[in-house]
Amino acid sequence: MLRLIMTRVFLGCVTLFAVTLLIFAATEILPGDVASAVLGQGATPETLAAFRIELGLDRPAYVRYLEWLTNALQGDLGIAMTNKREVLATITPRLYNTLFLAGYAAAIAVPIAIILGIIAAINEGKWIDRAANILTLGAISVPEFFIAYILILVFATNLGWFPSLSTVYGDMGFWQKIHVVALPALTLTMLVMAHMLRMTRASVLAIMSQPYIEMAFLKGLPRRRVILRHALPNAAAPIISVVALNLAYLIVGVVVIEVVFVYPGVGQYMVDGVSKRDLPVIQACALVFGGAFVLLNTIADILAILVNPRLRHPR
Amino acid sequence: MEDFSKKLKDAERLAARSGVSRRDFMQLAMMTGLSVSAAGAMFSKAEAAETPKKGGTLRMGMEGGSATDSLDPRTYADSVMIAASLAVYDSMVEFDNAGNPTGALLESWEAKPGAVEWIFNVRQGIKFSNGKTLDADDILYSIGIHRGEDTKSPAKGILAQIADIKAITPSQISVTLSSGNADFPVILGDYHLVVVPNGFTDWENPVGTGAYKLASFEPGVRLVFENRGDYWMAGRANFDRVELLNIQDVAARTAALQSGQVDAVNRLDARTVDLMKGNNALSIVRTKGTGNRFCFVSRVTSPGFENKDLRLALKWGIDREKIIDSVYSGYAVPGNDHTLDAFNPYYNTEMPQRAYDPDKAAYHFKKSGLSGEITLSTSEGAWGSAVDCAQLYQESMSKAGITLNVKKESADGYWDNVWLKEPFCAVYWGRRLSADQTFTQVYGSGSDWNDSDWRVPAFDKLVEAARVELDETKRKEQYFECQEMIAEDGGMVCFAITDYLDGYSSKVMGVQPHARYDMNDNRIASKGWFA
Repeated sequence: MLRLIMTRVFLGCVTLFAVTLLIFAATEILPGDVASAVLGQGATPETLAAFRIELGLDRPAYVRYLEWLTNALQGDLGIAMTNKREVLATITPRLYNTLFLAGYAAAIAVPIAIILGIIAAINEGKWIDRAANILTLGAISVPEFFIAYILILVFATNLGWFPSLSTVYGDMGFWQKIHVVALPALTLTMLVMAHMLRMTRASVLAIMSQPYIEMAFLKGLPRRRVILRHALPNAAAPIISVVALNLAYLIVGVVVIEVVFVYPGVGQYMVDGVSKRDLPVIQACALVFGGAFVLLNTIADILAILVNPRLRHPR
Repeated sequence: MEDFSKKLKDAERLAARSGVSRRDFMQLAMMTGLSVSAAGAMFSKAEAAETPKKGGTLRMGMEGGSATDSLDPRTYADSVMIAASLAVYDSMVEFDNAGNPTGALLESWEAKPGAVEWIFNVRQGIKFSNGKTLDADDILYSIGIHRGEDTKSPAKGILAQIADIKAITPSQISVTLSSGNADFPVILGDYHLVVVPNGFTDWENPVGTGAYKLASFEPGVRLVFENRGDYWMAGRANFDRVELLNIQDVAARTAALQSGQVDAVNRLDARTVDLMKGNNALSIVRTKGTGNRFCFVSRVTSPGFENKDLRLALKWGIDREKIIDSVYSGYAVPGNDHTLDAFNPYYNTEMPQRAYDPDKAAYHFKKSGLSGEITLSTSEGAWGSAVDCAQLYQESMSKAGITLNVKKESADGYWDNVWLKEPFCAVYWGRRLSADQTFTQVYGSGSDWNDSDWRVPAFDKLVEAARVELDETKRKEQYFECQEMIAEDGGMVCFAITDYLDGYSSKVMGVQPHARYDMNDNRIASKGWFA
């Protein structure tokens, strides 16, 4: 078990390294650099040259990459090229915000999706199964900003229950944040529910056609007990990995939601960084996003082993 | 009856906000059927609202900021940082609503004949937020950071004309220019040129003479300012506290204004602004035709485009009104193929506005002797609706029998890869401070940004002559001629200049349109107040 975890952590580090290398190369390939992006239409050859020398952009790409890498390994993510602020100091509160929103949405979405998925499997083909399917599929079939605007229109503009701006600040209390962030969390809930619900339902149903389930029924066990005690533990592995994928999406894929609700998360920071070609910023965001993916997938794999006795004791 | 009271309320608000004269107000009120004495009484009430009141927290929601922003004046490029800067720092020269330069920290000035030598007087008794008293050295330093070999300031170019600058006394500065420029004070009003104490470098903790001091700054998220108390200009600095939120998405900005989470927003969407007009809790301020100038620019040195008849065909073949109506919902004015706007005192009012005329376009195209299709490079990277505009252009050109091939370029890196390189492409220009700056930067032979590559010695000479001309009548004639030359011969199809649309809660006062920027020259934090 320990060995497995160590291998996964090592592979995760290799993945992260590859991500930073790829991102660096991609940023180099993009036309323009931080100097021309910042100066924009107002750039002249002299101001460009002055800016590039100040930022050290006149040095070869591999030198700059190695320098960044050595610093990053020592925990120094560098200074943003555009506004000279420390990347680590800027990204920490934003990462906290991103995790807060993701956690908030997950706390609503995951239990509802799994419970509804199980209920739908128990009642396969009945009205509650159909209603759950139609509603969740409907929610992911429209673009995310559309749901967001509808929620704003109803709950912020018309009813006035929640604010349309979800900007959070350091000096806000926990419950105040919960109130302010309600609408984006609700939007995200609607976006991720369908995937998890369908997977729960499908994997439970797949197990249900197994002989040992038939045996359980023949023993005279009630349907509910068969599903919860016999089917669910074996169906857990795919459900856990889908939940992990959706959690990763909640962390890395929400930039549109951040824009619509003016939420200061990491996504917006990365978009601003890319549009200005601010390499330390882009790299730091890539590390955060890559790290989130690796971590969640590793946890999912380990959990899948822990819940399943056959995987726990491989022969 | 409801309609009547709404009109009356509008009239009252208009008088309060935009300084409508008593006579205009009475007329407006009479039209709604009010008696003379009643209207008179109402005017005094509306006028009373014009005396600024102190207090309150102004919450602004603005587009034009980013997580990469900084309060170093050499990095400013968009509205949020301009507005933030003008809250904390003061500029050397300001502009009145019509766009004329007025004294700020440089209180007054005087030019010797020829406009080469200038004397500026530094305002006395002004204190920075760290307690230091303003003197000439602070001004010299604040100009100096934008000059010199290794500065990256975008203002470097406009200050290159300074040959020598020095303090004569602690309250007087003399400037010698490399050649005369009657508009030099206008140059010193550029938004990058704000005043900091001599030797200042700590841009994270700005020190200025402005109405407010910075309380907190999260780039791309929020700036908070607190009133510093005791501001030198009467009637300004009325709010106790100002919060400036970055709201990039226009729908989010609009929703925030409508639900009362912010009191002021910039850049409303022309397509939805009419829906807000009936709302009494909001007021919309429209500044006509001072926004971005949208152009399709041909390089007159490229094959085909060196033919003047082809260029005329391009200018006659665009349906300006239709583009303005369908893309900008009417919130723009037609451009007249040069980038000066009607707010500029030297705008040529005698030159007829060019309109869509497919016959003339066809005539000039035929006369040019060219055939085949013309390729227009466009992209959302030029401006949001550049592709829509190009498609409407294509349609109007086809009615003149000319095939326009619309080529969509990548938005990313558009200014690096397409602009100044492709022979015919979409470009927008912002407002320049003066007629001289417009003509020198956009059309001057020496300019790196002369995107039509239209370099005409006779034009340069005319601009140089006008630059030092202190006789207004003569100067006006010269600038009129400049505009005619560009519109007739140049490579630019300038078809629309947009309006600025600001939205305010109706309790915000002091919200007039301004010749330079929206949000009352991006100074609503210092100029506005709550009713």
